[in-house]
Amino acid sequence: MQLVRNWFDKISIERIQLELMNTVYGSGHASLSRIDPRAMLIWYLFFAIVPWFVHNGTVLLGMFLLMVTTTVLSRAAPFIIIILCLGLIGQVGWMFIISLFFGGNLESAFPLLLLTLKLSIVSLASITVFSGMDPERIGDGLLALGMPATFSFSLSYAYRILPVLFGEFRNIMLSYRLRGQVPSRHGWLYWRLVVYYMKLFVVSFFPLMLATAKRSRTTVEALETRGFSYGMKHPESKRLKLAHLKITSRDLGFLTGSAIYVALLFWVGGHYEIL
Amino acid sequence: MHNEMSTPSSVTPSDSAISIQNVIFTYPGSEEPVLNGASLELPRGSFTAIIGGNGCGKSTLCKLFNGLIPQFYTGDFSGEVHVLGTPADGLSVADLSRKIGYVYQDFDNQLVRPTVLDEACFAPLNYGLPNYRELGERALAMCGLDAIYNRYIWELSGGQKHLLALAGALSLDPDILIVDEPVSQLDPQHARLIYECLSRLNTEYGKTIIVIEHHTEFIADFCADVVLMDKGRVLWNLPVKEGLNRIADLERLGIQPPEVTRAAIQAAELSQGIETNADPSSSGQSFPITVEEANVYFAEHYPSMPYGTLQNEPSSYSNLAHDVSGLFANTKRPTPVSAAEPLIPIVQFHQTWLRYRGLGKKEHEVIRGVNISLHEGERIALIGNNGAGKSSLLKLMAGISLPQEGSVSVLGEVTHRSSLEQLAGKVAYIFQNSSEMFIEDSVRKEVAYFLKNRRIPDADQQVAHVLERFRLTPLKERDARLLSGGQQRRVTLAIGAAMKPALMLLDEPTANLDLATREELIGVLDELDQHVRTTVIATHDMQLVTQWASRVIVLHNGQVEADGTPADVFADESLLRRSGLALTQIMELSHRMGMPTLSPTTEAFVDSLLNQSLTKEAMHHAACPQLV
Repeated sequence: MQLVRNWFDKISIERIQLELMNTVYGSGHASLSRIDPRAMLIWYLFFAIVPWFVHNGTVLLGMFLLMVTTTVLSRAAPFIIIILCLGLIGQVGWMFIISLFFGGNLESAFPLLLLTLKLSIVSLASITVFSGMDPERIGDGLLALGMPATFSFSLSYAYRILPVLFGEFRNIMLSYRLRGQVPSRHGWLYWRLVVYYMKLFVVSFFPLMLATAKRSRTTVEALETRGFSYGMKHPESKRLKLAHLKITSRDLGFLTGSAIYVALLFWVGGHYEIL
Repeated sequence: MHNEMSTPSSVTPSDSAISIQNVIFTYPGSEEPVLNGASLELPRGSFTAIIGGNGCGKSTLCKLFNGLIPQFYTGDFSGEVHVLGTPADGLSVADLSRKIGYVYQDFDNQLVRPTVLDEACFAPLNYGLPNYRELGERALAMCGLDAIYNRYIWELSGGQKHLLALAGALSLDPDILIVDEPVSQLDPQHARLIYECLSRLNTEYGKTIIVIEHHTEFIADFCADVVLMDKGRVLWNLPVKEGLNRIADLERLGIQPPEVTRAAIQAAELSQGIETNADPSSSGQSFPITVEEANVYFAEHYPSMPYGTLQNEPSSYSNLAHDVSGLFANTKRPTPVSAAEPLIPIVQFHQTWLRYRGLGKKEHEVIRGVNISLHEGERIALIGNNGAGKSSLLKLMAGISLPQEGSVSVLGEVTHRSSLEQLAGKVAYIFQNSSEMFIEDSVRKEVAYFLKNRRIPDADQQVAHVLERFRLTPLKERDARLLSGGQQRRVTLAIGAAMKPALMLLDEPTANLDLATREELIGVLDELDQHVRTTVIATHDMQLVTQWASRVIVLHNGQVEADGTPADVFADESLLRRSGLALTQIMELSHRMGMPTLSPTTEAFVDSLLNQSLTKEAMHHAACPQLV
């Protein structure tokens, strides 16, 4: 009991919320946060798409190393990295086991390793972008690249409302626990407790949704009275919002640096294929 | 605050801020019109409060001004609306909103941006104004938020969020500002801060301010005019002093006049029966509405009192503490520490410390070394300003938080060693935000949830009984989320009572309630005494404390600053000031008048006032009958 409680305290919702907020908004000092969001998004677009079409191990490994560097520079929270690693290992390990089942051997691990590399590059690129820039900058970048204003607004609003939702979710779950009954026996490997908490976790979403629906009425009205829909119809509002974005030499340097590095990788990869 | 244009009769259409004629509006899908022939004229630069019972159309009326009705909510609409001299007919919500700022009652949902400055610049940016940053900064400065412009919204306190909502509404420099129930979600200190800000906006910047409000004390202190609504109509629009003296109208609609007004009326009624030489015109006279007025009024009308208005400076108040301590010596401390009590305390805090981690790995200490015991049969009020640790202390008792140092024992069990669910059988914790307690789709199921889960025999019978006691039987099949604020509060208390806990913890039970519902709640609390052994309430509501509590614990910065009877605590002026507590009007008045005791209720005040004027010797018996 004590053990489960300790474990439960460690991964409390509060903790997850804190880590998440730290990831998203704690990036003010990261060196990547000063790069223009448009440059960053173009950069991201490249590293999210190109790896899928590359089959050269050297190139992929080189890209992976670059991603590791940028992830470190973006000061991503350890929590997010752990989740990523778990996901990757789980995903690929599972496929490997299946391939063994169908008569594969260690050799079938090689293409899987390539796949893992590709997945990690794309994931790390995403982490770099999303923890290196706060949602405001991402929203501005998307708006500048031609996404609709509603989209970029919802992105930043989602982050604004996140702590509120977390708080409410926590309290609703607490309501269930305070008025519920924990199973009197743990069962083998605490399975009864696990099922109990899983069930609570799921049912807590329903009251949360109802509460959110009720809340949104004020938000929608307030947006209307504060000229949000007016701004969407008038281009000068968009121009003003984006006026602060400027491509500087730092941005160009970042993009050309990355481009040169990638070109070099392809050149090296053409000569020595290590994987 | 009164300005020259505050008399509503002298308004010509051109200098009116708002003018509506005979408006009838019915929400789609509803049979009854919300507004039923409403007409109102508000001059520019006025500071008006709109009052009325629940559901009388106050909010609907205000949404008429910025065009949300009938443009956003299309229903059956007829009548005329003029805003700042132009007809609102051809204007869109966006056009009207440039001239009218609106702050919602649930202002938290109005804030849509992550940082303070972003929020203040939001509207000017939407309207494409190139000087948006200046406008935003100016609005922040008007609300006194310029120092925290780069903070995130979730780091702000409730009062700061409200000010920010205000700044957001002010950023377009509107002529009219509408604020819906500013006080209901805030503690008294923050509420006063908001009103001071509104008052400054009115006098210095000449804004027309409209508030929807039912706390008449605030109206008396800050507003110039008051509009009474009933059943979708405007009954009258009068200067505050006159309006709040229309006692019959107010009482009919469940609005409580200010405490001092009630005291003056009671005193007049009683003294007329006793004293033959009382002012004959008092039936039609006007009663005081603010503490200042009351001070003068009582000195004039009841001059036979030994303590006049001579000692009306606050400093004389500390002398009072000495007199009081003598007076209350016999009624001190109902239960604790007397040697004849072998009982174990219901709750025992032992050197308890609680910390939590904030954004950026900062540690905050919320409870700092608390040592207290709570005993059977006590009615405990936890008071203190925001962030003093009231809610944290409740959470420690409920086992929701566990202390990092020291321990908390509830009914002899250390919270560290029992699970939340085990503890929940003995301790009921009622959230501040009622809606977060609603997890089922009907009131009956909400109340039954605990009993069903614990497979308690005769659950149905018990539920029916509790529903009956809390007058919820007619509502039992309704979804609790859709009930009114007062009804929701009653449901949460019923949920708690049905658990038959030994210890009941209530977080701000009177917040967000109108006064009629509040009075009713105090009745319900008496009902609770039959179900529970000890009740603890964390509150800002000093009236509730004086009417209900037997023991008051004052928290300040996570430490116990004082612990004693209400009389003891309220007699210590420096303590009250230090811990940032707000006195009720009647307490304030009794202290300004230099009365020997701080009267907690109007009845006590009138009692001591009249007894005082009759026989000075009788004072000691009459002064504290409610404290026995």
